[in-house]
Amino acid sequence: MITTDLNPATLWQALRAIPDPEFGVSIVDLGLIYSVECTPDLVQVVMTLTTSSCPSGGWIHEGVRAAVEQFAGSREVQVDLVFEPAWTTDRLSAEARRVLGGDETQ
Amino acid sequence: MAASWLATQGRLPLAFMLLGLGWLGVATAMLALSPGVLALSHAAPAVVALTHAWVLGVFVSVATGAIYQIAPVALGTTLWRERLGWWHFALQSISIPGMVYAFSRWDMATLGLFASPFALGIGLFAINTWKTVRNSGRHDAVAWSLQLAALWLLLTVVVGLVAAANRLWTFLPFDPITVLRAHAHLGLGGFFLTLLQGVTFRLVPMFTLGDVPDWRPVRSGLWLSQFGLISLAPALLLQWNLLASASAVLVLAGMLSSGHAFRRTLATRKKRALDPGLRAFLAGCGALLLAPILGLLLLWPASPWGSGGGGFGAMPYAVALLVGGLLPVIVGMLCKVIPFLTWMIAYGPKVGRVPTPSAGALTAPRLEAWALSLQGSAVVPLFIGAWTQEPWLLSLGACLLAAGVMLFVYHAGLVLRHLWAPRIPASAAPPSP
Repeated sequence: MITTDLNPATLWQALRAIPDPEFGVSIVDLGLIYSVECTPDLVQVVMTLTTSSCPSGGWIHEGVRAAVEQFAGSREVQVDLVFEPAWTTDRLSAEARRVLGGDETQ
Repeated sequence: MAASWLATQGRLPLAFMLLGLGWLGVATAMLALSPGVLALSHAAPAVVALTHAWVLGVFVSVATGAIYQIAPVALGTTLWRERLGWWHFALQSISIPGMVYAFSRWDMATLGLFASPFALGIGLFAINTWKTVRNSGRHDAVAWSLQLAALWLLLTVVVGLVAAANRLWTFLPFDPITVLRAHAHLGLGGFFLTLLQGVTFRLVPMFTLGDVPDWRPVRSGLWLSQFGLISLAPALLLQWNLLASASAVLVLAGMLSSGHAFRRTLATRKKRALDPGLRAFLAGCGALLLAPILGLLLLWPASPWGSGGGGFGAMPYAVALLVGGLLPVIVGMLCKVIPFLTWMIAYGPKVGRVPTPSAGALTAPRLEAWALSLQGSAVVPLFIGAWTQEPWLLSLGACLLAAGVMLFVYHAGLVLRHLWAPRIPASAAPPSP
């Protein structure tokens, strides 16, 4: 396990491997991850869901924690699920828009 | 959110989905073996048995299971008592076969024996739904539609029990046929329509990354339909055609308002391509709009399209409503819910630990589309066959439906296989720590 010099970019890459179960698009490309911060003692992820009533939200939240814990070593892992600011489709990446066909509505 | 709580999620709704899937096979087999029953009167024992196999076995099982899944997530709460849901499942599983058998033999005493536990199960379902909604503290259109749908379903079952008792002891001063019609409309209009006019506006935006731009037509659609439904059943019972017509117009106005809201909601979606299940759901909702119009035609036998010898009768109306409208809606729900629940159970606990597929990746969209198209192609021959009482058209329609259902059940089996043989995708592996 890596316990020093944890780069947030590594965590972003790990989170990118988690697809949303409904849309098949990475949760990073969907814009569900608001921030990833690493300190010597703590890894903090702030995330949201496309809707507060997302039925798979619990598993995504748990999955983000599990993915981060693989890299955190002895650091504490804190995954905050927030709905303020609310997720909007503006957070979709270009890749997500391509997969979803959302460009047609722009 | 505790992982132990998450792990139990999805099992109860999935059990209901499997019950509905099993009944889809049985009900289709009943029709395929005797397609000529659709040329009989709507009060014939074989028709009543077939109708209850479809409506209770397939439609109510799937819809109640969907509510156990949808209500907590749509309302942002947890189900009040999951154990009550399992009791409901047990009661429903044992009672429907007995009810269908009793209807086919027109044995009202046996019917009462099996319909009573069914009613008890629906009572438990209604209490669970009401308490879940109440605990959520929500009072929006979705919350109201869930509460009202549960109320209509309970009322329908109670009226059905009373109608069966009346066949044994004849205590109601009404024609039994009018009681049957009131019972049918309470269930089909009250339960299914009310449910669709609410939860659709939570689910479709969720599946398509859309938004409800204006809740006012959603609310007005729901309440207009409720006013129409409240007066429809008594009007049918008392054969007050003018009131029944006015009620049908109110229901139609409500449906149009909901349809307008739905069209605007769909226009906001970011996921442009609609999958086969959602397309079937939309097609079924569109076909249901025809129901009050066909019902109005039936109310006026003297009109050129009216009922009577060789005219438009109750059977084509029922075929249009059940096979043309409710079947694609319910099967469309199954297309979305079965892969999702399978994903929840098979892959949910693995998220973030190993690469996981999406729920959509568990399906075979082309096979699914074929199954749904075959089912859809059965509607016209069954509708015209029931109207003209033409045996070859009924046989053709039943064969097409059976082929579509067989493919659908096979496809569902492929999805469900992931429960005991999950497949971890090789690609998209997360980087090593």
